Amino acid sequence: MKNIIEVKNLTKEYKNLKAIDDLSFEVHEGEILGLLGPNGSGKSTTINCILSLLKFEKGTIQIFGRPMAPNAYDTKREIGVVFQDVAVFEELTVEENIDYFCGLYVNDKSLRKQYVTDAIELVGLNEFKKFYPKQLSGGLLRRLNIACGIAHKPKLIFLDEPTVAVDPQSRNNILDGIEQLREKGATIIYTTHYMEEVEILCDRVIILDKGKVIASGSPEELKELANMEEKVSVEIETITEKQLEEIKKLKNVDEVHYHNQNLIVIYKKGKNNLITLIDYLGKERVLYDKIYSERPTLNDVFLELTGKELRD
Amino acid sequence: MTVFKTYLKILNKNKFLVILYTVILVFFAAFNIENNDNGTNFVAEKPDILIVNQDEDNDITSHFIQYIEKNSTVKKVKETEEAHNDALFYRDVNYIIYIPKNFGNDFLEGKNPKLEIKSTGDYQASLAEILVNRYWNVANIYRNVTEEEEQLLTLINTTLEKDTIVEVTSKLDTESFSKATMFYNFANYSILAGCVFIICFMISSFQEKKVKSRIMVSSMEYRKFNRQLLLSNGLFAFALWLCYVILSIVLVGNVMLTSRGLFLILNSFIFTCSALTLALLIGNLVHNKEAMNGIVNVIALGSSFLCGAFVPTQFLPDFVLKIAHILPSYYYIYNNELIASLEHIDLENLQPIFINMGMLLLFAFIFIVITNIVTKRKNR
Amino acid sequence: MLFHNYKYALKILFKNKMLIFWTFAFPLILGTLFQMAFSDIEKEEKLQTIPIAIVKLSSDQNSMVPEIFEHLKNGEESMFDISYQDEKGAKELLEDKKIDGYLILSEPLKLVVKENGINQTVLKFVTEEILETEEIMKNVVMLEMNKADTLDEQFYQSIYMKIEKWKQENQIELNNISNQNLSYTMIEFYTLIAMTCLYGGILGLYLVNQNLANQSANGKRISVSPTQKGKVIITSALAGYTAQLIGIALLFFYTICFLKIDYGENILFIILLTLVGCFAGLSLGIMIASVFKTNENTKTGIVIAFTMLCCFLSGMMGITMKYIVDKNIPILNRINPASMITDGFYSLYYYDTFGRYFFNVISLLIFSIFMLALSIKSLRRQTYDSI
Repeated sequence: MKNIIEVKNLTKEYKNLKAIDDLSFEVHEGEILGLLGPNGSGKSTTINCILSLLKFEKGTIQIFGRPMAPNAYDTKREIGVVFQDVAVFEELTVEENIDYFCGLYVNDKSLRKQYVTDAIELVGLNEFKKFYPKQLSGGLLRRLNIACGIAHKPKLIFLDEPTVAVDPQSRNNILDGIEQLREKGATIIYTTHYMEEVEILCDRVIILDKGKVIASGSPEELKELANMEEKVSVEIETITEKQLEEIKKLKNVDEVHYHNQNLIVIYKKGKNNLITLIDYLGKERVLYDKIYSERPTLNDVFLELTGKELRD
Repeated sequence: MTVFKTYLKILNKNKFLVILYTVILVFFAAFNIENNDNGTNFVAEKPDILIVNQDEDNDITSHFIQYIEKNSTVKKVKETEEAHNDALFYRDVNYIIYIPKNFGNDFLEGKNPKLEIKSTGDYQASLAEILVNRYWNVANIYRNVTEEEEQLLTLINTTLEKDTIVEVTSKLDTESFSKATMFYNFANYSILAGCVFIICFMISSFQEKKVKSRIMVSSMEYRKFNRQLLLSNGLFAFALWLCYVILSIVLVGNVMLTSRGLFLILNSFIFTCSALTLALLIGNLVHNKEAMNGIVNVIALGSSFLCGAFVPTQFLPDFVLKIAHILPSYYYIYNNELIASLEHIDLENLQPIFINMGMLLLFAFIFIVITNIVTKRKNR
Repeated sequence: MLFHNYKYALKILFKNKMLIFWTFAFPLILGTLFQMAFSDIEKEEKLQTIPIAIVKLSSDQNSMVPEIFEHLKNGEESMFDISYQDEKGAKELLEDKKIDGYLILSEPLKLVVKENGINQTVLKFVTEEILETEEIMKNVVMLEMNKADTLDEQFYQSIYMKIEKWKQENQIELNNISNQNLSYTMIEFYTLIAMTCLYGGILGLYLVNQNLANQSANGKRISVSPTQKGKVIITSALAGYTAQLIGIALLFFYTICFLKIDYGENILFIILLTLVGCFAGLSLGIMIASVFKTNENTKTGIVIAFTMLCCFLSGMMGITMKYIVDKNIPILNRINPASMITDGFYSLYYYDTFGRYFFNVISLLIFSIFMLALSIKSLRRQTYDSI
C-alpha cells in the first residue's frame, strides 16, 4: 500500500505547552483515517502543521512522497481542506463562493463550472445555489464549507470536524458525501470527537491525547483494547446480597453493580454470557423486566486508555 | 443587578471602543475650546494686521506703523511670502500691508506712492482698510498745508487722537462665557455620538436573537429585564454627562459655577435625557451593529452641523435653521445661546429657556412612545 | 487566476453594504452637511447694513452728522440704517437688539452700544472720522489764517472746498494684490477628499484581511491553495484601489456639480494627487490589516479613528486647526497623510507655483511606502507560529 502522507517525529510547541509531542504516523492511499481525540488534543494543530500553515520545531512531513512546503504548489493542488471554522464570503452566493475557492485551483473556466455543479450536487445544495450564507442554517452552512474545500476534486482531503453542531439530516448528508468522495478514490483524513462517525466511516483510527498517539488501528482492533467485552444491564425489582455475590462468581463476570433497581454486569470476554445470566435469574426466580446488552465503543476505549471521557 | 453586572461586563469587553470614542470626543472638545480664540468666527474689534516694511527708517512710516499697532493686533509670522499667504488664507491675519522702499520719502516729497495690500475681504479686513485709509487721508490733507515733517506728525497725531466717548451698557462677561457656550455646543456632538452609539451598541448586544430568546425564557420577567436595562443605560448616560460637566469645569473654570453656568449644566442634562431616549429608540429599531454605527454618525454629525454645534447659528442659512427645528439639538443649542446672553435672571428672561427645555422633554416623550410601539410590535 | 480574484474581490466589496456606506455614501452626506453649514459663513463675514439710532437733543441743533451718516455707502448699499429717536426710545431699541448702537448729538458726540463687536467698532470709526474732519478743519483754518486777509464766511468756505479737493486728490492708492481664491471653506472639502482617500483604506483592509491565514478563516483556504499568496494580495489590493477610485470619482462629481466646489484649474494635478492620496489610504489599510492581530471590526475602528484624528488636525472640525498645527508643530502635519492631501489641494487652489504641491505628493508616496514596508514582513509570511 502506498503512503500518501508520512509524518515523522513531529513536535510543535506553543510558548510552554507541547501541542504535538514526537508524533509519527502514515496515511495510506484510499483510506479514511480518523484522527480522534478530545478538545485540545492537537488534532487541528497536526493538520495545520501538515499543511505548512504552522511552523514546527522538529519532524518531517511528506505528502505524495514529496516534502511539504509552503510553496509546494503542485502538492497543494491535489489537496482539499475543510477547516473547522466556516470560511466563506458573506457577500457571495453559495455558487459564487464555491466558484471563487475552486478558482484558486482550477483555471479552466468550463471545467470549473462542471466542478462547481458537481460539488453542489455532492453536498445537496442545489436548491440553495443563489442563497447568501446568512440565509443558510448551520447545517447547510457546513455543507457549503465542505463544498468550498473539495470542489476542485483533490486526491487528498482534510476534514477538520465538519459535523460540529450540525442537525442529523445534514450530518447524514455530509457523511454520505464523504463516502462518495472515497469511492471516487480520494484519501481522507477526518478529525472528530464523535466516535459514532469514526466507527461508521473510518478504515483506520488514530487516537490522540496531549499531542501523542495513544492508540491506532481499525475501529475493531481498537475496541479489543477496551478492557471489557460486554456490558449487560437488567432491570430488577429486588435482589439479595447473596444473589449478587453468586452472579459475580458466574463465568467471565468481571464486575457487578446494583443501583436504582438496575443490575449491571460487566464481562471481560467470552460468548453466550447473556444466556448464563438469564438462566441464573430464572433459576433463582428473580423477576426481571428489561435486558440490554452493550458492546464496547471507542469512547470506552478512550476512557480506558486515558481515564477521560472523549467528549467534555 | 444581574442585568447591570452583565452590562458592565459587555461594556468592559468593548472598553476599547468606549475609551476610543470618549477620548477622541474629549480631545476634540478640549482642543477646540483651547484654540478657538483665533477661530474664524470670533468677533474682535481689532483686526489682525501683518506689516511688511521695506522702507528704511523714516519718521512718517514708523509713525504710521505705530498708529496701526495701536489700533489693531499686529501679527508676526515667518518672513516668507508663503507664510504670509498662508496666514492670510487661514485668517490668522486679515490684512497685509506692504510698505515699499522709499515710501515715506516719496510721500513727503509730494509723490503718490502706492501701498500694496492683501485682504481677506471680510469684516475685519474692512476695519483694517478704514484704518489705513484714514491715516493717509489725514496725512494727505496736512501735507498740503505744512512742509515740516515734525509739524505734520503732530498734526496727524492730534487729529487721529480724537476719540468718541463710547458707553457700553451690557455688563456681561461675554468673553469667558463664550468658551463655556462653545464647550456645551460641542458637547451636542459628543453626547449624541458617544452616548447614543454606546447605548445602542449595548442594547443590540442584549437584543441579539439568541441572547434575547434566552432572556425571554428565563425566569426573569421580561419587563423587569427591560427596566433594569433601561436603568443601566440611564446610569451610563448619567456617568458620561457627569464626565463632561467635570471636564467643562476643568477647562472653563469658575464661570461654570455661576447661575448661568449652572443653567448650561441643567440644559445639557435635559439634552442628555432626550439623547438617551433617542438611543433607546435607535437601539430598538436597528439591530445590526454596523448599520447602527452609520446611523448614529449621520444623526450626530447631521444635527451638529444643522443646529449650530460647530458653526454658530448666526452663520447658518435660514433654510438650514428651519430644517433644524425638527431636531432636538436645535433647542438645546438655542438654549445655550439664550443662556449666554442672559443678563439678569428673572422669570421673563427665563421663560424662553424653559420653553426650549420643555421642547427637549417633549422630544424625549415622543421617542419613548415610539420606542414602546416598536418594541410591542416586535415582541409579538 | 489574477482576473478571477480581482473580479470576485470587487464583487465582494460592492455587495458589502456597510463598506459601501462608509466609503461612498458617508462622504457625500458629510459634504452636503458642510455645504449647508458653511455656505453662508463667508457671505456673513462681509459688512452688512448696520441699524443705528440717532438722538437729537435739541431741535434747533443743526449738526452735519446725520447727513454724513445717511450718505455713507458700503459698496452699493447704505452703510447704516438710521432711525431718529429720543433717548428713551433708543435705549429700548438697543435693549431689544433692534439696533447695534445709538449716537447722541451732544457736545462732544456720545456713542452708546450694548456690547463690543464689529458693527459697534465700525460705528465708532465713522463717528471718529466725523470728529477728525472737524479737527482737520480747525487745524487747517489755524494754519491758513495767517495767509488770509479776512476771516469771513467766504474764507471758511474756501478752506472747506480745499480740504474736499485734497481729499479727492492725491490719495494714497491701495493696490490689492491678494489672490482671488481666498475661500477658506474650501479646506473643509479638501479634508473631506482626504477623509475619503484614507477611509477607502477600509476596502483594501477588508480584502487583504481575507487573504491572510493568521487573520481570517478564508485566508487559511488561500494559504493551502496552490495559488501564490502574493498574487492574491496584489489583486485584492488592486480591487480595493479600484473601488476607492470609483468612490472618490463619485465624490468629485457630486461636489463639483452640485456643491460647486473649486479644486483649482489643473485637472491633471488634481487627478495625480487623488491617485496618490487613495494609494496612501490603501497602504494604511493594508498595514493595519496585516500588522494588527484583532478582529476585523476593531481594525476598521482603528482606520476610522486614525482618519478622523488626521482630518481633525488638518482642519475638518475647524479650519484654523490646520494652520495652528502648521505654525506650531509643523512636524505633526508633515507625517499626517490627511494634511498632505488637504495641503496639496490647497496649494493647487491658492498658489500658482507647484513646489508645495509636489512636496505633498512626494510626502504621500513616502508615507505609503513606509506603510507597505511595515506590512511586507507579515504579508510575505507563509507559516505561522500560531493561528
